[in-house]
Amino acid sequence: MRRLDLRWLIVLLANLLLSWLVGTANSYLSHFSFLWIDYCSVHLYVGGLFVVYSALRLDSKHGLIAVALTGLIMDSLEPVPFGTNMLLLGLVHATLLYGRRRFPREGSIFGIVVALFANLFLIIALSFLMVGSNPRPGEAWLRIFVDLLASQFLILLIAPWFLALQDRSMQLANIRPDTGRRVAL
Amino acid sequence: MLPKRFDQARPFATLGIILLAWLFVSLAVKTFTRATFFEIQAPLVVADSYVQDLQTFWSNRLHSKDELLKAGQQIAGLIADYDYGVQQNKNLEAEILRLENLLNLPPMPAFRFEPARVARRDFSGWWQRIVIRKGKNYGITVGSPVVFAGGVVGRVTEVYIYTSVVDLITSPTFRLAASVTGDSRPLSYQGGLNDSFKSPRGTVEFVPLDIFANSSSPQRLVTSGLGGVFPPGLSIGEIKNLEPSADGLFKNGEVALDERLGTLTEVTVLVPLNPEEF
Repeated sequence: MRRLDLRWLIVLLANLLLSWLVGTANSYLSHFSFLWIDYCSVHLYVGGLFVVYSALRLDSKHGLIAVALTGLIMDSLEPVPFGTNMLLLGLVHATLLYGRRRFPREGSIFGIVVALFANLFLIIALSFLMVGSNPRPGEAWLRIFVDLLASQFLILLIAPWFLALQDRSMQLANIRPDTGRRVAL
Repeated sequence: MLPKRFDQARPFATLGIILLAWLFVSLAVKTFTRATFFEIQAPLVVADSYVQDLQTFWSNRLHSKDELLKAGQQIAGLIADYDYGVQQNKNLEAEILRLENLLNLPPMPAFRFEPARVARRDFSGWWQRIVIRKGKNYGITVGSPVVFAGGVVGRVTEVYIYTSVVDLITSPTFRLAASVTGDSRPLSYQGGLNDSFKSPRGTVEFVPLDIFANSSSPQRLVTSGLGGVFPPGLSIGEIKNLEPSADGLFKNGEVALDERLGTLTEVTVLVPLNPEEF
């Protein structure tokens, strides 16, 4: 009998958890005071982190399913044409798959670097899509730049934890992420 | 066996096929999928606001009886004020009705007030939205105006079973017909100036040349009641500066918005009683 392979679901649930945590953080960061500055507002975006594990550790089929569903989850919460994040994350996923034989896939430092570059690409791509509706795009880019810095800093801090969380979840499920085979206990 | 070059490009070919397939998926399917994915996450979205409510409840339980008595006295004073306000409001409504009948005017649009807790705020340079904890279960409709003590909050853009999404007046996608207090000529308001370290601002266009405003004598901007669901006279913000537009026919300027929009916890949705009127 064929065994149900849930690798994509494990990665999707981890992505959903991170999406919820970042959404909650964004809710609190919508208006806060910091030192002498009375009004601060920062928005964190960590879309780049959602692709790394799927692209570097999972096989292409399960990785693509996890990335596509994560993209749709993000799309449902954002006022962008439905499918935008799915296609952007899919593009990053495809690019990483294209060159992953040459990458040191197991190292978490490489994962962090990939997450940072992927996030940079996603923020710039989304900004080009969204900034046109702004009455003063120049000022919008300044805000996006501050948000980008904060997001990249956050990714630097949480990427090792998040990659370890997904690795550990696979271990708990006794599954090898690349092949889907049971790990011998 | 496939050539190695194609094998390497397979991820892009797969993505291309998905993109093509996605383009042919009907809008109804996409709308349904979007709603489904939102509803899956809705319990997570509202969970932390319920936890916060619980936290507030228990922190209030820790107040001493003296503190509660003082708060009760203050609230009693406020209730007396509001009672007087309600009385005045009833008199004014009766006066409006009398004038409408006298002048054969169509009735003002009627709304049902639906207070709702804010579950989540999502403020970025791209969009500014909040999620509220009421949806179809309370009869909220798409396009309903949302207000708070300081004036306009925004407009309901998406309604789900237990939640709704509100596009804020600070959002670049929010446009509204407005007017300056005491002047009936309509202006165009748009949100979107959301710096990281400054209060949110919006922009106004098509301001008549005889209207002046600066930071020492700002002009109050209110809804005009034209071309939309917002009733007239709701406060939007203050016009702090005006400059002639490029063609010299009108003025453009900036509107300072209420800082409290970033910390809203409770809003009121104005649900139209007769949606077909709008």
